[in-house]
Amino acid sequence: MSLSLKSGFTAAVTLPDVLPPRRERGRAMLFLYRHPTIAMGGLLLGLILCIAIFAPFLFTVDPTALAPAKRTRPPSQLYWFGTDMLGRDIYSRVLYGSRISLIVGFSVAAVSSVVGVAIGVCAGFIRLLDAVVMRVMDGLMSIPSILLAIAFMALIGASVQNVVIAISIAEIPRVARLVRGVVLSLREQPYVEAAIASGTSIPKIIWRHILPNTMAPIIVQATFICASAMLAEATLSFIGAGTPPTIPSWGNIMAEGRALWQVKPFIVFFPAAFLSVTVLAVNLLGDGLRDALDPRLAKRI
Amino acid sequence: MFSYILRRVLSTIPVMAVVALFVFSLLYIAPGDPASIIAGDQASPADVERIRMALGLDRPFLVRFFSWVWDVLNGDLGTSIFTNLPVTKMIGQRIQPTVSLMVITLVISLFTAIPLGVVAAWKQGSWIDRFAMIISTAGFSVPVFVVGYVLAYTFALDGFDLGIGWFPVQGYTPIEQGVWPWFLNLLLPSVALGLIYMALIARITRATMLEVLSQDYVRTARAKGAGQRSILFLHALKNAAVPIITVVGIGFATLIGGAVVTESVFAIPGLGRLTVDAILRRDYPIIQGVVLMFSFVYVLVNLGVDLLYTLFDPRIRY
Amino acid sequence: MKRRSFLTATAAAGATLAAPRLSLAQNTRVLKFIPQANLSSLDAVAGTQYVVRNAAMMIWDTLYGVDDSITPKPQMCEGHTVNADFTEWTFKLRAGLKWHDGEKVTTRDVIPSLQRWMVRDTMGQLIKGRLDALEATDDLTFRFRLNKPFAKMLFALGKSNAPMALIMPERIAKTDPFQLIKEYVGSGPMKFKTDEWVPGAKAVFTRFEEYAVRPEASSWSAGGKRMNFDRIEWVIIPDAATAAAALQNGEVDWWENPIADVVPLLKRNRNLNVDIGDPLGNIGSFRMNHLNPPFDKVGVRRAVMMALSQTDYMEAVAGDDPALWKVCPSYFTPGSALYTEVGGDLLKGPRNFDAAKKLLAESGYAGEVIELVVPVDVPITKAEGDVTADLLKKLGMNVHYNATDWGTTGTIRAKKDPVSKGGWNIFHTWHAGADCINPAPYTALDCSGETAWFGWPKSQKVQDAIAQWYAAPDLAAEKKAAEAINIASFENVTYIPTGFFVQYTSWRKNVSGVVKAPFPVFWGVEKS
Repeated sequence: MSLSLKSGFTAAVTLPDVLPPRRERGRAMLFLYRHPTIAMGGLLLGLILCIAIFAPFLFTVDPTALAPAKRTRPPSQLYWFGTDMLGRDIYSRVLYGSRISLIVGFSVAAVSSVVGVAIGVCAGFIRLLDAVVMRVMDGLMSIPSILLAIAFMALIGASVQNVVIAISIAEIPRVARLVRGVVLSLREQPYVEAAIASGTSIPKIIWRHILPNTMAPIIVQATFICASAMLAEATLSFIGAGTPPTIPSWGNIMAEGRALWQVKPFIVFFPAAFLSVTVLAVNLLGDGLRDALDPRLAKRI
Repeated sequence: MFSYILRRVLSTIPVMAVVALFVFSLLYIAPGDPASIIAGDQASPADVERIRMALGLDRPFLVRFFSWVWDVLNGDLGTSIFTNLPVTKMIGQRIQPTVSLMVITLVISLFTAIPLGVVAAWKQGSWIDRFAMIISTAGFSVPVFVVGYVLAYTFALDGFDLGIGWFPVQGYTPIEQGVWPWFLNLLLPSVALGLIYMALIARITRATMLEVLSQDYVRTARAKGAGQRSILFLHALKNAAVPIITVVGIGFATLIGGAVVTESVFAIPGLGRLTVDAILRRDYPIIQGVVLMFSFVYVLVNLGVDLLYTLFDPRIRY
Repeated sequence: MKRRSFLTATAAAGATLAAPRLSLAQNTRVLKFIPQANLSSLDAVAGTQYVVRNAAMMIWDTLYGVDDSITPKPQMCEGHTVNADFTEWTFKLRAGLKWHDGEKVTTRDVIPSLQRWMVRDTMGQLIKGRLDALEATDDLTFRFRLNKPFAKMLFALGKSNAPMALIMPERIAKTDPFQLIKEYVGSGPMKFKTDEWVPGAKAVFTRFEEYAVRPEASSWSAGGKRMNFDRIEWVIIPDAATAAAALQNGEVDWWENPIADVVPLLKRNRNLNVDIGDPLGNIGSFRMNHLNPPFDKVGVRRAVMMALSQTDYMEAVAGDDPALWKVCPSYFTPGSALYTEVGGDLLKGPRNFDAAKKLLAESGYAGEVIELVVPVDVPITKAEGDVTADLLKKLGMNVHYNATDWGTTGTIRAKKDPVSKGGWNIFHTWHAGADCINPAPYTALDCSGETAWFGWPKSQKVQDAIAQWYAAPDLAAEKKAAEAINIASFENVTYIPTGFFVQYTSWRKNVSGVVKAPFPVFWGVEKS
């Protein structure tokens, strides 16, 4: 089998119960103290999230309003981050742009997790499907994900929704494989076998025993997917196959400003900085969660 | 052993079949009609129809698919719609820059990331460990093109006036014109492309080394007085090799994806740029050819990785 | 296997370690040039891309050439005779012309070349429509016999916008006019190195030693095309930032069209010359589909024109530099003989949104969604599209911004279907000023309805005015006709000109002889 060792990383995982339900004062603080990366990542991400939500109230103007007469102005008191080639206010665009990056990141993480879990569980439980589905997944995985996404974008046209679909399609097989691995190992567990023997219905087994145990690796995986989706969105827009150019996304702002990076570096700098910080925040959060939720996994990567 | 290799090799066939079907049908349903693009601004619908027939675009799906597969198996990837050149020739022209870029990236990444990961594991918790991990996390977080532009600005245009504008800012020098110019031309793009790869490898190296270093045989080696360096690089690293190689193989996809962007930032006439150009122009045969080829290479690399396991870890027998 | 052969190559090349880094670019017999776009074919008869034309003009020659005063001059021809009513044109080729493969150029090559061109070109079609015979009388002499006069024959044969009447060897000229040619043998001053061509990255031309240079000085596509390079390399760099860096770093010698925003950077560089490349410039175009609502109503078209600010478009397209653009309330190229602003009042003065909105409502705009097709891979059309989206939004129109690439736009704009079936309302482009000096090469002006250029405008008044120009005996009459064309075109709002802009070109100081022309002229250029 082509799976060999790769899935072996996660296949053997048996997880401790998720955090005990007991709550004590100071417990949360202790948790954060123990996992500084979660604290830092969460804090940064929370900040970006606030910016995204409250963008209209943070002294922004219409991010799409053109003013060609005031183009490529450097950062000043009037234009905090300067203006772009069409005279649009980069500060407003970057702030509103955070919405797109977060939407793309979160949606891709959600879509690929849900679909990936569904496929993975089915493949893990239904032998007949397994071979076929996993060959299809292997096939999809052998197409480098950015190529796959570019090809899809060329096919279905630019929109935020399509970006989400295109990136998700490249991520789904990875989740599906991970889940299938976990399911296969769980199936052999005595308590699952007992449940089957006692006549519990398959959906119930999945719901009761399988899904809860796949949650931890999925959450960790989802954070990393979220981070890489944000980068992928920027890359797609950079190549010219991403979010429609009317929508201010970080990728678009950078794509439009790339030709001027020597003369007006601020156009690329601000969205690049925001993007990097956001991705960093999500990555830190992911690292932290992995350490916290799954110490055995943590040792691996 | 032999049957494992055979089975592993055979298992790539269905994967490639899925890729082929997928790549073909993806572009089969693509909007945009190459016939009318070729016909140009002033052509009549009849002319467009004639061109469509000449290209065979009017035949049913399965007929087109199987005739395409047959041609591919015979080494014919079709003819580019825009240049009228055989796709195999166009890929052939572009292969050297991309292979060079990847090889240099691979070499640089391995030679920096593995020692970094080993040292970070050895000095766990020290400043060098923290520094390595911060750098590698940052490597995951900055887009390739931003890294590329910053490198070009600093080391080619000498934008900060540091007197270090040593490298060409773009292009590719064929290796026949000298190894040194070839290497100089590719160094900046390789570093830009390799950053995320380095991050990946450094992390996995550190993690596996940490695990290996806590094993009994390492303790035994220490106890019998083996040198620190020999423990790290002889005993431990060899045992950590399997996960590292796995990540190198899987990360290869990132490398291919990154090459698409890197080649356009540094104007390297390689396969990545060919792909982007072809997709923007809807040059179906090229898109099919390139995606198919990249996927094939990726499958081969991972096949190689799986076979390498048996070298490093004789226990693996399936 | 690949890797192994690669490694052998590494080992073999190891001997030449110390080769200097910029050896090739510094060679004075080699010119490295960044063209405006990728070169995807070389057929300037079947295709109309400017970049293809620029390359083809080095490889193939024309019977006549046009000089910088827009006068046709004999090029491959020695001369011609014509009868009094312009129905019989006889041409004689120069003796001693050779193809790149060493064969002689004869009328056996000329006739099929012209026949292929006549199918594709608007002026060629005019000739074809009145052609009794195109015949060779001997190896060097041939004749057009027409049943209606055609006075502008020399312009047609010497036109420098595609489809050009390029003369190709018989076997190549016999290619279907709707298929691209596959062999690139010409009689021009440079040969094409097919084996070194990497489409999307590099194209190489080498000097044709046996080229028969005319004795006169060269001027645009006329006169003696003297080549001072053994090799011209076109390096395709789509990323403007990288192109700028390559020029600054001396890795290339000449960049055809630097984008306006990096020009200050290039101007600061002591090693670079920066100048306006083509004084005839370009006219930006806001093209509407006259078949689909709401732009089938002239009132709606006019309402948009009332609110449209050319200044906005030009600042977005050409930047802050006032030397680069001007407002152009005309369909003709500013500075050319026929330029007139008569009839262009709607584009002048302050913009009146209230009146425009009122007219829009009166003309029956019913809130339809406007399908705006924007090729985002071309900076100029992207900027135009963005400004338009903003303008229509301000007018209270519903816009669907369809972001695509230039290739797909080519497909979409050819569709006459309603928007619901994949049709369109608006796309943008620009017309080279050289094509807008008179109605002959000016496809976008034609208002013949179904057979007109994309958008299919229909106006008998415009057509009559164009016919008046073709029949004009002298410049005064041509000017009168041009005024009539301008008035009728603005009344009909055939398309909306978004302004006139020129583009810079930039080359290294050690390169001399770069001239202002509607296309990059490589003959006469030198490098020291």
